[in-house]
Amino acid sequence: MNEPREALIARLEAHARQIRRDIWRALRAGGGGHVGGSSSAADILAALYFYKMNVRPQEPEWGQRDRFVLSKGHANAALGAVLAQAGFIDVATLDRFYQFESPFGMHPDIKMAGVEMCTGALGHGLPIGMGMALGARIQNMGFHTFVMVGDGELHEGSNWEAAMAASHYKLSNLTCIIDHNKIAQSGHLADLIGLDPLAEKWRAFGWAVREIDGHDMGAVVDALDALPYDANKPSAIVAHTVKGKGVSFAENTYLWHTNSVNGEVYERALKELGLP
Amino acid sequence: MSTIASDDWRAKSANQTRLAFGQALLALGERDPRAVVVSADTQDLIGIRQFIARFPGRFVELGIAEQNAIGVAAGMATTGLHPYVCAYAPFITARSMEQVRNDVAYAHQRVVIGAAASGISLGVAGGTHHALEDLALMRSLPNMTVIVPADVEEAYEATLATAEIDGPVYMRLGGRTEEPTVTAAGAPFCLGKAVTLREGSDVAIIACGALVEMAVRASDALREQGIAARVLNMHTIKPLDRDAILRAAAETKHIVTAEEHRLTGGLGGAVAELLALEQPTRMRMIGMSDTFAMIGPTGRLRAKYDMSAESIASACRELLAR
Repeated sequence: MNEPREALIARLEAHARQIRRDIWRALRAGGGGHVGGSSSAADILAALYFYKMNVRPQEPEWGQRDRFVLSKGHANAALGAVLAQAGFIDVATLDRFYQFESPFGMHPDIKMAGVEMCTGALGHGLPIGMGMALGARIQNMGFHTFVMVGDGELHEGSNWEAAMAASHYKLSNLTCIIDHNKIAQSGHLADLIGLDPLAEKWRAFGWAVREIDGHDMGAVVDALDALPYDANKPSAIVAHTVKGKGVSFAENTYLWHTNSVNGEVYERALKELGLP
Repeated sequence: MSTIASDDWRAKSANQTRLAFGQALLALGERDPRAVVVSADTQDLIGIRQFIARFPGRFVELGIAEQNAIGVAAGMATTGLHPYVCAYAPFITARSMEQVRNDVAYAHQRVVIGAAASGISLGVAGGTHHALEDLALMRSLPNMTVIVPADVEEAYEATLATAEIDGPVYMRLGGRTEEPTVTAAGAPFCLGKAVTLREGSDVAIIACGALVEMAVRASDALREQGIAARVLNMHTIKPLDRDAILRAAAETKHIVTAEEHRLTGGLGGAVAELLALEQPTRMRMIGMSDTFAMIGPTGRLRAKYDMSAESIASACRELLAR
């Protein structure tokens, strides 16, 4: 990369802002949706799709592409936003969120270009991503697989089945990104089922772990640049994030895990995100 | 490319469909470089140690973790591999039903599930290890093909035939009980086409799995009593051979189904659904009633719960006496 770091960070931050604006655009079209977990993931998605991952939007099925599985499928508005910006899908698809016969619903559907798997039932993405990483190894393919899980999603036991098996197979071509926004549908995770110490859990399962501020684009880029953290281990990035990041009234509250979005709410949100 | 000694698979299968599946995987491994085998601590259950030794790079052991096994298989399938999941029927269906539904059936991935120890084949293990609802679960899923081989000949050929199926497959296999052979050696397996094992125009017995051989014996006994009972081996539960069933109903007017599965939602249910809509026909259903089986040897349990040649013959006689 010849791009100066400052320019790179500024470019990725601009992408992230556009992702957040497009999340709200989709949610307005759908009448509402998962603002909180979509917005917390925006910066990481920008860095993956516009910096780290080797993908071809005009050839979405290209065999050597890096894989991204959005295990926390309820953040599909963010995935749709990044896929539209990258050119996998038409930007107009954003306005078809939740619409009749749309490929773009509450959760990712494999029939939409750029979507690797139907997800959203929680605890599915990491086993699937592990299968992709094994598929790469067995077939001598060089691609990397990224899985993004929610933190509340880690209550599902199937994640830990995959965590145990992926380290057994030393899948250094697999990275799990934990969008650690600390809030689920019913409230703060600490008041539901706490996760701490989270990084230690992953280390105990045999993963190489980094903890970052998931909204500090420089930190996100550095964490992705350093992959894999250990040549004999899968990598985990515990990304500390803010649920609803970017719009003050939606930040850090379970009430905006999912909520209605009308025209007036949309205008208020866009004002905070800065009109394009 | 070297070839595998092709004749010893029968000896190694020991009249057990679960082992025939493992033997067929060995042949598939040779034919299809994309075939991979996934185990959930089932290496001896399915008899895949030969495959592992021959194709170590195309074998993945995932331990006692059925949800992960299905998810991993689906993920591998998206990369172009053809995964064969070796598992226990009670666990791979009920415990990982959501992974089978979402990751495999809904996402239409080419994953073949070899499900051993189905029905009450692990009789002494008790109700926690019986799979008497797996057909109901699997046949309710769109995109899913559901196969129930009657013996090792059919299990071997059906497993080879999965190479031509572009979608998910559930292959129901038995346990450590030897199943008598009813299929001619080397008979081709035709997906979705029932096999007529006995002709007859008084009543038709439509059976699958271990109950097929019992149906044949029932038909032979009935013939001595002057009753001509047709026997259909309905090895494919989905897609169902509608033509064979409707023809049997039209020609015999009496249908008896027989399966090692609860009476709700299995083969009998599938046949009844079809006939109720297309051609209402007098029926009797042989299988497990609405109860959990007690503990015991498989043979004793089959007899206790009326899954026997005698019960099938009685059902035919009762139906004809009405």
